[in-house]
Amino acid sequence: MASNTLRRIIGLILQYAGLLAFMAFTTFPFFWALSVALSADPSYIWLFPDAFVPHDFSFMWFKRVFAEMPFMVYLKNSTIMSFWTIIGVVAVSVMAGYPLARLKFPGRGLIFAGIIATLMLPSETNIIPNFITLKNFGMWAAALQEHLHLPSDWNMREWVGLNSYFGAIIPNFAGAFGIFLMKQAFEQIPQDLVDAARVDGATELQIMWRVMVPVSIPSIAALTIFTLVNAWNDYLWPSIVMNSKEKLPLAVGVFNDLTGPFATSTSLVMAAIVMTVIPVLIFFAFTQRYFIGGLDGAVK
Amino acid sequence: MKTSSSYTAIAYLFLAPALILMGIFTFWPVGFNTYLAFQDYSLADGTSTWNNFAHFKYIYGEELFHQAIKNSLLCLLVVPVIQLAALVVAKLVNDKLPFITLFRASYYIPVITAVSIAAVVWTNVYKYDGMLNLVLTWFLQKLHILAAGQVVDIQWIGDPKIAIFSVMGFVFWKGIGYYMVLYLAGLQAIPAEVEEAAVLDGANAWQRFWKITVPMVKPTILLCTLLSTIAALKIFQEVAVLTRGQSDTYTALFYVYAQAFQNYNFGRAAAASLVVTFFCMILAVVQFRFFGDKK
Repeated sequence: MASNTLRRIIGLILQYAGLLAFMAFTTFPFFWALSVALSADPSYIWLFPDAFVPHDFSFMWFKRVFAEMPFMVYLKNSTIMSFWTIIGVVAVSVMAGYPLARLKFPGRGLIFAGIIATLMLPSETNIIPNFITLKNFGMWAAALQEHLHLPSDWNMREWVGLNSYFGAIIPNFAGAFGIFLMKQAFEQIPQDLVDAARVDGATELQIMWRVMVPVSIPSIAALTIFTLVNAWNDYLWPSIVMNSKEKLPLAVGVFNDLTGPFATSTSLVMAAIVMTVIPVLIFFAFTQRYFIGGLDGAVK
Repeated sequence: MKTSSSYTAIAYLFLAPALILMGIFTFWPVGFNTYLAFQDYSLADGTSTWNNFAHFKYIYGEELFHQAIKNSLLCLLVVPVIQLAALVVAKLVNDKLPFITLFRASYYIPVITAVSIAAVVWTNVYKYDGMLNLVLTWFLQKLHILAAGQVVDIQWIGDPKIAIFSVMGFVFWKGIGYYMVLYLAGLQAIPAEVEEAAVLDGANAWQRFWKITVPMVKPTILLCTLLSTIAALKIFQEVAVLTRGQSDTYTALFYVYAQAFQNYNFGRAAAASLVVTFFCMILAVVQFRFFGDKK
């Protein structure tokens, strides 16, 4: 019996050792950045293990980030783009999920198969045609503006074409993941609820909005959270579409500044990184059960 | 009660936003890419002319594209490593122990970090005088393998021989949390009694892992392996932010990206992307076969 307990304890110690070692691997870049950003003295950055302990604690590098980099502009852009992406994705997914889950109509199977098939396509190859499409959108908008004799300072080209918020987020609106998630959620709602609403004379829009949506709030919350993190972290597409600095989101703007001429001081770079990652981490701390507990529904 | 035809109208009305957006930004690009691949496209005036397979002939003979394909295939090496590691880690965090949520969350942090921002730190880790070499130096000196004055100075992303592996290391760091969560869901579906019975029968941890855990999460392993195979073939954002294609790290999709947005040769980029799409389609068929058989 005693040897069994001993073995249990040794096993537990090994398990925690493994857990801690792996934690060191996944989080060391962040802790390094944090400790460098909090040290006024930059001479310890390239020393191990001293670099992981703040020396001469101060917030001066964070203040300098605000002074030397348009951080608040990037933050504003990220917020605007994430907000509208969430609205767009949730609206499109809820509306598409409802008929796929609850209505019988010709072509349903085909449409659903088509939507799921997009998961197989390498979406990264879409960047070329989408770039051209958005360029055309901009040209059409400019032509329309001219045709209607609208004032030239409206610059409608940059409302819908390249270098517009619209262009940076619109390709993400209709995604198979969101539609699939909402379809699954709507399918689990008892038919009686829908029938009762129908007998009471509710229209389909009312059924969706008054019955389906309130019951599916947990799924919508999960979709919102996933969309927020994806939109906030989206790097590639905004970096291609946006060409003016004042419209860049955090993931692009901070990266450009940190790898460009701004990158004179590693401490400054690390401070900017910490400031970019912190909002996501705080958000993650509150919603982590959706990420690391709520995926079962999506897997099955 | 309404007639079925009015349901059809309503259904399509509800589906319209999704179908229109997908049509423009997902389906149209596939067709347009195929068209572009056979054309010389001029971005300035939007004109295109048929060029008799010139792009395909070009990339067929081009060293850079061959290397890009080779690197993309080499990236498949990350698949077995990441899958095994993710399964082991999922197993470690599957027990109800104190602080286990903290561990799970900390493994997921790389997944929710923007790839560009993470790459900035990793560039500093991989530099020849960066953190990785410092850590290696420290350990090797502690172990007396290196003498006090000697240092490790491997050019992790500067040396063409190892740069692609460093990119794969970054991919591993970024992706393992995602697969861990998928495996965790699979592991939690295994009844606890199975494992307890094996313990009573005297199976050790090694045997339990290979004889019970692996067979019981086989569907998840299949799913994750296919997901990560496709993801490995599509590696390129990591290249774009970490090495920018320098030191022989072109991957197939990075080639597409570089041709389009650095050379502005959209036609050639489309031709290369058609090749990638073709490979992904083959994988998709394999995927359907696998999961079709299961049901």
